[in-house]
Amino acid sequence: MAFRISDMLVYRSMAIFFLSVASFIIFLGTPSLARTVTDQLGRNVTVPDEPRRIVSLAPNITEIIFSLGQERRLIGVTRYSDFPSEAEKLPKVGSYVHLDLEKIVALKPDLCIAIKDGNPIAVAKRLESLKIPVYAVDPRNLKTIMQTVLEIGGLINAEKRADLLVQNMDFRIQKVKSLVSNVTYRPRVFFQIGVSPIVSVGTHTFIHGLIVLAGGTNIAEGPVSYPRFSREQVLGLSPEVIIITSMARAAIFEQVKAEWSKWPDLPAVRNQRIFLEDSNFFDRPTPRLVDGLELLVRLIHPELFKEAE
Amino acid sequence: MNTDKPLLIKRLWVVSFSLMLVLLIAMFLGLSLGSSQSGMKAVFQNLFGIEPHDPMLDTIIWKIRFPRILLAALVGGTLSLGGLVFQALLKNPLAEPYILGISGGSAIGAIIGILMGFTRFPGVSLTAFSGSIATLLLILVMSSGQTILKKDALLLSGVMVNAFCGAVIMFLVSLTQDARLHNIIFWLMGDLSMVDMPQVGILAAMLLPCFFLLFWFSNSMNLLLMGKEMAQTMGVNVQAVTVILLVATSFMVSATVSYCGLVGFVGLVIPHLLRLLFGPDHRVLVPACVFGGGAYLVFCDVLARALPDQGEMPAGVITAMIGAPLFIYLLKRTRR
Repeated sequence: MAFRISDMLVYRSMAIFFLSVASFIIFLGTPSLARTVTDQLGRNVTVPDEPRRIVSLAPNITEIIFSLGQERRLIGVTRYSDFPSEAEKLPKVGSYVHLDLEKIVALKPDLCIAIKDGNPIAVAKRLESLKIPVYAVDPRNLKTIMQTVLEIGGLINAEKRADLLVQNMDFRIQKVKSLVSNVTYRPRVFFQIGVSPIVSVGTHTFIHGLIVLAGGTNIAEGPVSYPRFSREQVLGLSPEVIIITSMARAAIFEQVKAEWSKWPDLPAVRNQRIFLEDSNFFDRPTPRLVDGLELLVRLIHPELFKEAE
Repeated sequence: MNTDKPLLIKRLWVVSFSLMLVLLIAMFLGLSLGSSQSGMKAVFQNLFGIEPHDPMLDTIIWKIRFPRILLAALVGGTLSLGGLVFQALLKNPLAEPYILGISGGSAIGAIIGILMGFTRFPGVSLTAFSGSIATLLLILVMSSGQTILKKDALLLSGVMVNAFCGAVIMFLVSLTQDARLHNIIFWLMGDLSMVDMPQVGILAAMLLPCFFLLFWFSNSMNLLLMGKEMAQTMGVNVQAVTVILLVATSFMVSATVSYCGLVGFVGLVIPHLLRLLFGPDHRVLVPACVFGGGAYLVFCDVLARALPDQGEMPAGVITAMIGAPLFIYLLKRTRR
């Protein structure tokens, strides 16, 4: 027995020795100022502990970083990064669907934040082969936007700010939910994001989620994300509210409104409920989407606010 | 073709070397211009190791610009050769893979490959090749009333096939709902910016053997231009040579299309220019097309990067803007 115990002791001390050597080697192997995280596509990305030179590869990511008050870390953005307006002053690295690889590399970023939908995967792969970490996010609805805000907050050491922002978003969403829970009727909404051709939003879009949350029925719901419609189809669905958010200018809006007004039988026309809204509230997965949600409630259920006032 | 052998070889070297020099100048320009605006002097110093190395400039020059200009040189050479071969085989100075719809057919094949989720190589390259062979057969069948290919019939059926291909491409693009759409559209316009070194290597491995094959058959092309009977009596197996050349050219063109989309009119501009400069001997024209066409597309790509204020435009836009007016000019001239 005694022999065995001493044997075990030897083994144990050997094991401890090897483990400590191994951990020392691992410690040496990892750069001390970086950590490995898993992005929203499930890929392992080694990011710097304190990223100071971030290139944002989409307008909504730029917006999130600004909303976290971390714009000093941003050294490059994509074209159309126009909110907040300070973002427009930053160097541009192409548009988010057609990134300028050389520009990105020339800015010497220590981290790029990409989105799954839109950013060409080839560019992300090449950035990684050039040893520039690419963290990809995939915000698809309010819940994943909040998740994205928290994750980006974690990446750039703004957890507290991110927490506050998400709490605020959550609070406002809950408020809308409780407000809408009383409504008995859900008006038929046609949400028009494209003028020519007429394009609306299907079930798998965040705008659909917003319409439902705001107490409306999306008449364009269906498996196609951005379905095209003929005028006839829309008339057949007889929308009660039409919301147009194309990037069109006011003049074109009047034209579109006049187009719809030719059909006075349309409930939306009869009740004068055709609205033009800033597409930025709706087409970018950012915290501002909550503003969009509150706006939608006012458009779809104005009676809720009349009663309150 | 009774040129003295030593004289021919001398001409071959002179022409090849001078065009290689042009290509080198173009490549140097291509290396030194880019969206990051690093000065030409800095690039020069980097190339010859004068300054202490700036690792970022190193990366930009060798990992971003270098694969791109190599691709442009390869594609330019290929498309010029494509034009040269088609013009010789079909005895039509206006024949060119893009105008005849061969490129369009490859593009259809490539888009189908992309939509089916294949990798660039070998999946998309293979579907592109099938597309180009299908259009080639279609054009040949359509235009051959008898065995002789009439000039206008060929050109017309090519233009029609090209228009049809355009429609099918639009159909496929409008079917695509997701974000891949943007990528397809940029790629279609002839985008050279998305390749890295291993991909250029694969493409070179596909194209370089074809270059040598075409050079091997360059004298046969000379003889074919003198007429089928003549070529036959001079010991050319007309049918075999025609099939080999057409298939090799379609293969080369489809390979370039699957990597950088539709770059039009290169095969029209370069062979015409070179024929004016160096005469009609294909033994000189084949290598001249490889180097001259390469230099031309590298230049066009430099323009594509330098012209727009923000971002860059696809090189195919530039080549079409230069090539289409020239096509009209040539069409008018040959009619006379």
